[in-house]
Amino acid sequence: MKKENGKKWNKYLYAGIVMTGIAVVLGIVGFFWTPYSTTAMSAAEKFSAPSLRHPFGTDNFGRDIFSRVMRGLGATMLISSLVVFFSGLAGILLGAVTGYFGGILDEVVMRITDALNGFPSILLTLVIISLLGTGRQNVIISMSLVFIPSFVRIVRGEFIRLRDADYIRRARMMEVGKFRILFVHILPNVFSVFWVSVMIGFNNAILAESGMSYLGIGVQPPDASLGNMLSDAQGYLQSAPWCALAPGLTIVWLVLGFSLFSEGIRRRASAAGV
Amino acid sequence: MKYLGKKIITLIMTLFLVSAAAFLAFQIIPGDVVASILGTEATPEREEALREELGFNDPPLVRYGKWAAGVLRGDLGVSYRYSKNMNEMMPVAELIGDKLPVTLWLAALSLALIILVSIPLGVLWAKSRSHALDAVLGVITQATMAVPSFFLGILVTWLFGILLKWFAPGGYVGYRENFWGFLSYLLFPAISIALPKIAMTARFLRNSMLTEMGADYVRTAYSKGCSRKRVMYGHVLRNAMMPVITFLGMIVAEIVAGSIVVEQVFGLPGIGRLLISSISTRDFPVVEILILYITFVVIFVYFLVDILYKVVDPRIS
Amino acid sequence: MIKIEDLSVAFGGTEVVKHVSLELREGEILGIVGESGSGKSVTALTLMGLVSEAAQVTTGRILFDDVVLREAGKPCDLRIYRKYRGAEMSQVFQEPQTSLNPVQKAGKQVEEVLRLHTKLTGEEIRTKVLETFQAVGLHDAERVYASYPHQLSGGMRQRVMIAMAVILHPRLIVADEPTTALDVTIQNQIVELLRKINKEQKNAMLFITHDLHLARRLCHRVAVMKDGCVVETGTAEEVFDHPSQDYTKRLVEAVPSRVKGKSGIRGRSGELSAAEADSGTSESPEGRKAGNGISEVPEERKAGSRISEVSEERKTGGEISEVSEERRAGGGTSKVPGERSAGSSGAAPVLSVRNLSVYYQDGKSTLSQEQAEGQGRKKISLGSRLFQKRGQCVVWNADFEIYSGESLGLVGESGCGKTSLSKAILGMNRHIEGEIVHNSVRPQMVFQDPYSSLNPAKTIGWLLQEPLRAAGALDKSLAMTRADRETAARDMLRRVGMDERYFDRRPSELSGGQRQRVSIAQALITNPGFIIADEPVSALDVTIQAQIMELFLKLQEEMHLACLFISHDINVVYRMCDRIMVMKEGHIIETGETEEVFAHPKEDYTKLLLWGS
Repeated sequence: MKKENGKKWNKYLYAGIVMTGIAVVLGIVGFFWTPYSTTAMSAAEKFSAPSLRHPFGTDNFGRDIFSRVMRGLGATMLISSLVVFFSGLAGILLGAVTGYFGGILDEVVMRITDALNGFPSILLTLVIISLLGTGRQNVIISMSLVFIPSFVRIVRGEFIRLRDADYIRRARMMEVGKFRILFVHILPNVFSVFWVSVMIGFNNAILAESGMSYLGIGVQPPDASLGNMLSDAQGYLQSAPWCALAPGLTIVWLVLGFSLFSEGIRRRASAAGV
Repeated sequence: MKYLGKKIITLIMTLFLVSAAAFLAFQIIPGDVVASILGTEATPEREEALREELGFNDPPLVRYGKWAAGVLRGDLGVSYRYSKNMNEMMPVAELIGDKLPVTLWLAALSLALIILVSIPLGVLWAKSRSHALDAVLGVITQATMAVPSFFLGILVTWLFGILLKWFAPGGYVGYRENFWGFLSYLLFPAISIALPKIAMTARFLRNSMLTEMGADYVRTAYSKGCSRKRVMYGHVLRNAMMPVITFLGMIVAEIVAGSIVVEQVFGLPGIGRLLISSISTRDFPVVEILILYITFVVIFVYFLVDILYKVVDPRIS
Repeated sequence: MIKIEDLSVAFGGTEVVKHVSLELREGEILGIVGESGSGKSVTALTLMGLVSEAAQVTTGRILFDDVVLREAGKPCDLRIYRKYRGAEMSQVFQEPQTSLNPVQKAGKQVEEVLRLHTKLTGEEIRTKVLETFQAVGLHDAERVYASYPHQLSGGMRQRVMIAMAVILHPRLIVADEPTTALDVTIQNQIVELLRKINKEQKNAMLFITHDLHLARRLCHRVAVMKDGCVVETGTAEEVFDHPSQDYTKRLVEAVPSRVKGKSGIRGRSGELSAAEADSGTSESPEGRKAGNGISEVPEERKAGSRISEVSEERKTGGEISEVSEERRAGGGTSKVPGERSAGSSGAAPVLSVRNLSVYYQDGKSTLSQEQAEGQGRKKISLGSRLFQKRGQCVVWNADFEIYSGESLGLVGESGCGKTSLSKAILGMNRHIEGEIVHNSVRPQMVFQDPYSSLNPAKTIGWLLQEPLRAAGALDKSLAMTRADRETAARDMLRRVGMDERYFDRRPSELSGGQRQRVSIAQALITNPGFIIADEPVSALDVTIQAQIMELFLKLQEEMHLACLFISHDINVVYRMCDRIMVMKEGHIIETGETEEVFAHPKEDYTKLLLWGS
């Protein structure tokens, strides 16, 4: 029985590692080198179907889609990582303090996160962007702000759960400093749950970023991004479906790979726990 | 009753806070609005006159008070962008009135699809003891959840619209002209919104049922001589549905978000498209009202879920 | 009637039940006793066909009146079982909290048995259920019928479970630890109820328990299980009075009993710690001799004489210097003089509590939900007024003191205010009236659950050093170098009888007993002088329980530690404590020397507690 479980998580984990790995390598390489220029247009090669020369074909300006996908992939992953990093950090700090101490600060933060949590996150991002204006930095700032509440919620929940754990009560009896209780005693026990939410958050960030670029408020053309490639390609769906399929399937590949990866890790952790 | 009262007060408070936050946030924005409305016709005198007309010279709190009082009376203000004719500004109410039903029907249709498909699917999945079905459903749902709704919309358009020709992309029919035509056109956008959520809900219900099946009371039910079927439908399902109700409530917010994007994909004249265009043209009166409206819908659904939960779970007092 | 022949059950290749053969006759109560993991529950679940599908029967078979219910190599046949379960055989489970469907009314859940197995009409079913509720002692039957499980107390829930099990007069009732989750007084009622049902209905009963007292009281015959095997069977008297197997003997001896008080154990603890190869702190022969001597001291002891005994021992014992040193470092330096001296000895109390009332904290309850339920629901028919009142004040006018080297037992059922009192003493609840005077530096606490009292993210060594680091950070004069801390931690680890190789391991690699040892070590490493032990052995198996109790007594003597020992188990308290306090519904109703209270309890409630177990 155990063996069978072991095999199962291996499958998830390996598939996830392979898929994410390919995407990460392509994305990173894309920052420095792409087979063709991502902006060079060529009227002669407009709408050429996928071939050996252009593995994903070319678009309405004759730009190589594979090169643009590489660049877009990198942009999406970079933005998503930054978003998760900033909001995760803020989430840990706010969640730890509010969860452990409670009180008025907790009340206020919870009211706000409650209100924001129910709110469709894309709408909130749109609102903030409409205040700040479009562009890459503003997308990062607004998405980070929007992602904070979910991290706060999870971290806070864990801190509340552990606040009254016997071993934390004992730490208090030893008169361990408050800061030390928060970040040395409790925090390491929060990480396992926190990582899961980071992975979910990363996936959501990828979806949100490409969604915004699709709506035209994220990465602005002529910079390539998976989302704006999709919205450009939508008009040529009938004649050149690859223009839409390539960036779309890339998003799916990235999200699926990452969720398989996190599922694999989760299963391995729970198998190790048993 | 006390519970209900408390919930209603929270609901009103939240609405108040959101409206104030939205209104004041848009006040902070540098006020180049007047200049951009007038465009090339701008002169200092005309700008000043318009400022006075729009009430920009009052302090923010007074303006909020006037605005909120107006909203309560049904006067939603005027749009900066759209105008009825040369001299009259477009009231926001009129602008939205037309587009609301489109979005509401889209959301309702999506929710109906989600509930109708995911619950039987989840139960079937939880019951299935065949390894193959379990694995297949696992892979399908995992993959479906990875597809963003706008790409799903494009895929649906391509597959059903262009390849199979089940509907004509861009062939939207207004609900006043042909209601059934309208609904059948909405079906495909609704599928694009619903599919990933169906996968999530089915997964969630299945996991919830599997958890409940390990509960002590299930063993008790078997010890009474219940059949597997009776245990599943008589005991497990109701307990397993409770977290699913909360989950479905949360999904409503995502359906609303999904419809904003999907309206763009399918070219539907709903409030989602209006919102996007208002944001990019900085038409703040419209944005404010739309935010308030969407918040109201979402909070109201949460409120309904709370009530429903109380009905289903006797432990909540 | 029931025959279990050569039954083995395996989970994924590991056998948890090995070649078990049991027989059960009509009207007989057969007890299966054993520690957790001995396979007793799996045996019962297999008999009922309720064991999980991952379990395989590898040898043997189960017969009910010569009908084969289950055979080796074949999966569980649900069709056969469906006929028997509920009608011919039924089970009462351990956890009445979770064993009832939370979203169905109690009456409906019992009705289901009748709907499944009889053709009675709706009205007949209802009448029958109400009758059965009456018969199992649920006198407010109508109300129970219409209540959801969360609206009932633990005892009532268990009665509902029993009603469900007996309503069709099945010929076999399996009771799997039916009283473990209940309070002592409720426990007795449930046991008596089961006995009554057995007498009236003449059904066979399989009673599974880890509690030997209980098995002895209720069962006609007993089977002792260990590691999946039945090691001994016989009548209850035979097995408990003249155990033939070593394991049974050990089990019987390990159970704290009235026969040996604290003094007796004190004597034995010396021998045992010497016998333990790991523990480097064995007492000198003289010390042990002195210890042995004490066990022959007459039972009547007073606080004063107790202290003089200790000083005698210190003279004779081999660790005089260490003890006195610890006293200086620990609670010995009394800053606040005690108001009252202890009888003749004149020593200051380590802790004195004057007129202490503890109030319920708003929001963050000092009583856990479960406890509040336990005490409140019983009286709910009297109106919620009573409950609310009790919710406000949980301890009334507590008045006592604890002296250095003494252990004071605090006994009472769950929800009586024991925990609230201890929290107030440690300053975790500040909603109090009255006075608490500490003479110890930093009182520590040992908790019940060994699995939650050690930080799972840290190593044992880190955990043991943390109190020293904290003390050093608070008071620079106590700061230690890294090497000193490590030495102290390793030393402490040895003193609680654990090998040094555990130093770098994490709590998850330790057994429950080992974790409790580490917990104790962590509490004592700063020489607190006074600790509160909240049910420190209740979560452990009996044999482990005995070891931990001995460790406690040994360390208490070595470190001259005052201890407030909280327990619901009167036998544990008898073994551990010099004096005891009995608490009921927030009041301390009786205080006295252990022997005195046991010999001549003044209060009816105390008698109930004593005779109940």
